[in-house]
Amino acid sequence: MPRFLTKTGSLQKKYSAWFNLLIVVLLLFCLVFPFIAGNYYMRFAIIIFIYMILSIGYDISAGYCGLLTLSAAAIFGAGAYASAITITTLKLPFFAGMLAAMVVTGLISLTISLPAYKVKGHYLALISLGILEIVHRILNDWISLTQGAAGFFLPPWSIFGITLTNFSKYYVIFFFLILAVLFAWGLVKSHWGRDFLAVKNDEIAAAGVGINNRKFKVIALLVSSMMIGVAGSLYASYSEYISPDTFGFYLTILVLLMVIIGGSGTLSGPAFGVVVVMIVPEFFNASPDLKQIVFGALLIILTQILPGGIAGRIKKRFRAIDDNTDIENVGDRPPISFEKFKVNADGPENILEVSNLTRRFGGLTAVGNLDITVKKGTVHSLIGPNGAGKTTTVNMITGIDKPTEGSVTFNGENITGMEPFLSVKRGIARTYQHVRLFKDMRVIDNVAMGGRIYYTYSMAGAIFHSPKKRKEEKEAYLEAYDCLKLIGLEDKANFDPESLSAGQQKLLEIARALCEKPKLMVLDEPCAGLNETEVAELSEIIKAIKNVGITVLMIEHHMSIVMGISDYITVIDYGRKIAEGTPAEVSVDPAVRKAYLGEEVPTC
Amino acid sequence: MQQLIFGLANGSIYALMALAIGMVSSTTGIVNFAHASVVMMGAMVSWWMMVIYGLSYLPALIIAIVVSIVLNIVMYEACVKKLGNLQHNVGWIITLFGASIILDNTARMVFGTEPQAFPYLFEGKMVTIGDANILLHELMMITIAIVIGIVYQTVIKKTRFGRAVRAVAFRPSTAELMGIKSEYIILLCFAMAGAVAAVGGVLIAPITFASYTMTLSIGLKGFAAAVLGGFGNAKGAFIGGLSLGIIESFISIFIPAGIKDSISFVIMIVVIIFLPGGILSAKIFNKNGFASEKV
Repeated sequence: MPRFLTKTGSLQKKYSAWFNLLIVVLLLFCLVFPFIAGNYYMRFAIIIFIYMILSIGYDISAGYCGLLTLSAAAIFGAGAYASAITITTLKLPFFAGMLAAMVVTGLISLTISLPAYKVKGHYLALISLGILEIVHRILNDWISLTQGAAGFFLPPWSIFGITLTNFSKYYVIFFFLILAVLFAWGLVKSHWGRDFLAVKNDEIAAAGVGINNRKFKVIALLVSSMMIGVAGSLYASYSEYISPDTFGFYLTILVLLMVIIGGSGTLSGPAFGVVVVMIVPEFFNASPDLKQIVFGALLIILTQILPGGIAGRIKKRFRAIDDNTDIENVGDRPPISFEKFKVNADGPENILEVSNLTRRFGGLTAVGNLDITVKKGTVHSLIGPNGAGKTTTVNMITGIDKPTEGSVTFNGENITGMEPFLSVKRGIARTYQHVRLFKDMRVIDNVAMGGRIYYTYSMAGAIFHSPKKRKEEKEAYLEAYDCLKLIGLEDKANFDPESLSAGQQKLLEIARALCEKPKLMVLDEPCAGLNETEVAELSEIIKAIKNVGITVLMIEHHMSIVMGISDYITVIDYGRKIAEGTPAEVSVDPAVRKAYLGEEVPTC
Repeated sequence: MQQLIFGLANGSIYALMALAIGMVSSTTGIVNFAHASVVMMGAMVSWWMMVIYGLSYLPALIIAIVVSIVLNIVMYEACVKKLGNLQHNVGWIITLFGASIILDNTARMVFGTEPQAFPYLFEGKMVTIGDANILLHELMMITIAIVIGIVYQTVIKKTRFGRAVRAVAFRPSTAELMGIKSEYIILLCFAMAGAVAAVGGVLIAPITFASYTMTLSIGLKGFAAAVLGGFGNAKGAFIGGLSLGIIESFISIFIPAGIKDSISFVIMIVVIIFLPGGILSAKIFNKNGFASEKV
């Protein structure tokens, strides 16, 4: 991927030498640390490293994917015990223990994520809290397996038959930390990381760009739990003694605090957080109770005044003072036009056929027996008074809502009740009545999300930065840049979407939809909140979209644009179709006049 | 019989906790994760009043209620109020856990770590029904819980205040347009939840002993009961709480005590997976979570 687009901005690029220097210095410091520090500090550093792996893993699900679980300690403990039991009772080598830890933690994460598609927010917190308690009870009470509250002793840590000294333990764990960081880095700087963020920001919009929310939540929890499991197995082997009390509610809160302080949803944040949470209390010799009270207070205060954490704040600062000049330098790109999104003219003439579509909410029939036929390559408008059922209709077409009766046929294929993320892959893109952008991503990332269905690289490819990944990412971002250029927002590429005006946000949604290279584009009130100039601009864009063969189905109240660019208009009222035809036909239809203007005026 | 009464008695406390969790949840849509700590604080404060200051039962209870109300109001002001839209900003989960930690550790520092014996109502007098000896206290627990439940239900259904609560629960901003001060109603609900928490804490303390660990041992079961019955639903809270109590007390005949406590969590997880709206929602099972959201 082109660096200029994926870096936070020109400032970060300007200082990238300093950042690299900082990383090298940190690395060197960690490498020579055992030579300059005593035994006590070395042990302290090892614990910090283990917690870093733990919190980086936790951040993948909690920070990036927004799945706020409280079972981190339970998963850490399960990993530690699984590897301890494998090593001690089954007498298998260390790596078998680590594998066992990953398997066990993976299974636990599945029980948490099993209901993830129905469940969000507090239910997830409750489930994970339940898991925390259950695991804790099992560790305490299944004495034949875990030796209960007395704790579990492991033999000295050995890898490939070599018993490790304190010295080599430090380097082994540091090595695993580097691996974990590289793994997380590869993951979050790929479409996987952005998909996790999208799921966190807005599930409906995420489904609208082709993300299977359930699948990604399960994956995020699985990956994050396995990483926590690795940390657990390292902890068990390192400390040679584990007891259930270590893995209680307190540890979960500690991990949560580390991620919150450092900055959830950032890569460096959790590492920052670990250092702050572990080192700062060392300076004042507080009682454990007081320390916990301070931690509790920090949770309350930081969530409210510093929601992005330290790393989030730094990132934001960089973006705020960014002068955004760097993205001008795109290199030699051929001049862009809408021709790029040309749709092949194969497939049936009626690209979308809706027949007998009905949706009832309780006793209310929002849409009743609706038939609409959209011809390929036309602009088809859906108009009607407020509450007529227009948005419900397009929700059923795009799969967000399931029809009570009736069918939707797209391009000759029955897509009735199909999940939204699947209909995107068939070529239906949409925008929303209330703008749904991914607020934690820049403008360019938002547009690039539209093209995510064309990524083919695997998760392994993402982690190892395979050539395929680099090529695809680069292509995707250049394409997204082209889309931005078409709607005239290219100079805003590095901005936060929230900093754009309402009209620009609407345009951005269209750019995202365009990036999906759709056959049918569904626009839900694209002109709402736009001024006259912007409406004129938008109608040009819609015309251009139509001219390259993309069919447009549009809900709109703005009559000048509806009459100006539509080929066909369907008028619905109270969920029923009352008229259909060309703009000229519809505008003289008596039923339409009655619905819009009230009782018919008697002609005299 | 003894098991049944014991289960019902414990269950009625779970129901009280679920009721209080529901009060808060119905108006704000949030689950007060610090509720368990407030229950514990209620028990600890009244124990302190009785044992250290030698107050009798009723004044101690009243002081505990006042303290819990204040705690809950402070909690709302400090942890919830400033977060804005609670549906989009799930920061309240974190802040309320923070509050819970503060309360637990304060209790540990102030009241010590030893579990304290808590006096029974009626000095632990027993009555004999059939072949079972039953503590009068247990009967009292059930009675008080049911009275509170009925009073709450009546207030919600019959009074002006109740209508306001229901309006805020449905849509706070619209309720405000109708002249209801949403924030005031939410605050009152938090206060009521605090009062109910204290009563529950005081009633269960003789059985579990008063200690800061009550938060984890008892409090979490309130959440299980609330999930079982469905949030923000007084009838559901009682069905959830009582059935949880009975299941627990009968299941403890068959399995060891340590695992008994995790049964409620297993039940909770199973219910969340299969019936996210609680038992009462089983019939009118909403197939379409997505549709109800505004697009």
